[in-house]
Amino acid sequence: MTKEELLSKLKTIIEPYVQNQEEFQHLSEDTNFIDDLEINSANLVDVILDVEDEFGIEIDNDGMDKMLTVKASIQVIQDKLVAK
Amino acid sequence: MIGNDIVDLELAAVQSNWQRKGWLQKIFTESEQNRIWKAENPNQMVWKLWSMKEAVYKAHQRRFSLSPKYNPRDFICADTLVGIDTYWYQTVSKQTKKYVYTIAYTDDTNFISKVFTDKSLEYKKTLQYYIADILDVNLSAVSIKKDDNGIPGVKIHNKFTDIPLSLSSHGSFSAFTINL
Repeated sequence: MTKEELLSKLKTIIEPYVQNQEEFQHLSEDTNFIDDLEINSANLVDVILDVEDEFGIEIDNDGMDKMLTVKASIQVIQDKLVAK
Repeated sequence: MIGNDIVDLELAAVQSNWQRKGWLQKIFTESEQNRIWKAENPNQMVWKLWSMKEAVYKAHQRRFSLSPKYNPRDFICADTLVGIDTYWYQTVSKQTKKYVYTIAYTDDTNFISKVFTDKSLEYKKTLQYYIADILDVNLSAVSIKKDDNGIPGVKIHNKFTDIPLSLSSHGSFSAFTINL
């Protein structure tokens, strides 16, 4: 899977939880889920569960710790896909 | 050190389905999950424990100037105490039909806290008045700003002070806790 495909899948996953649509339109690797997209912190669990389902991976505590930005999430997903 | 967190129960019911497969396991330890299922009102218990973890996360992050991390499961609730690594925090929670509110603190200091039931920024204004009054400075000299780690702080004449402050808002509710 290319990074572009991965990013596009991630965008589809986070969209239902986004509360700041304007920031979502300008999403970049540095976008922060809570500070920029205003995703409710309890909904980050849903993002993580959706990522697990979509990519067929399991995100452990160490991975979850980091999943606050687009960049970090892509890294975590790629690492898990490689290890699969 | 202090931290706070408020959950609007009506909004939480719309935003989160905590009965979704895997949801509780990602956030709560096994003993916390038991506590939830044994509770008279499991829904209230989910959000109470969640607000305890969030309030302590904020207090802990401020205390050690930590960069943001998403690790709710590392915060262990034992009765009203919450532990992270080797540190323990005391918490006090208030539950109504509409919200759950938790304050976390390290020692029984002189903090005050207030919950607001409107969506406006009224709570920030009230907070500024309160700070100006206690510190005996002009209202215009007081501002509330976030630092590089996203932690809110009190600025007097545009300089950060070390006054512990925590803010929380969710849905129809906002709250502050401050130690002056």
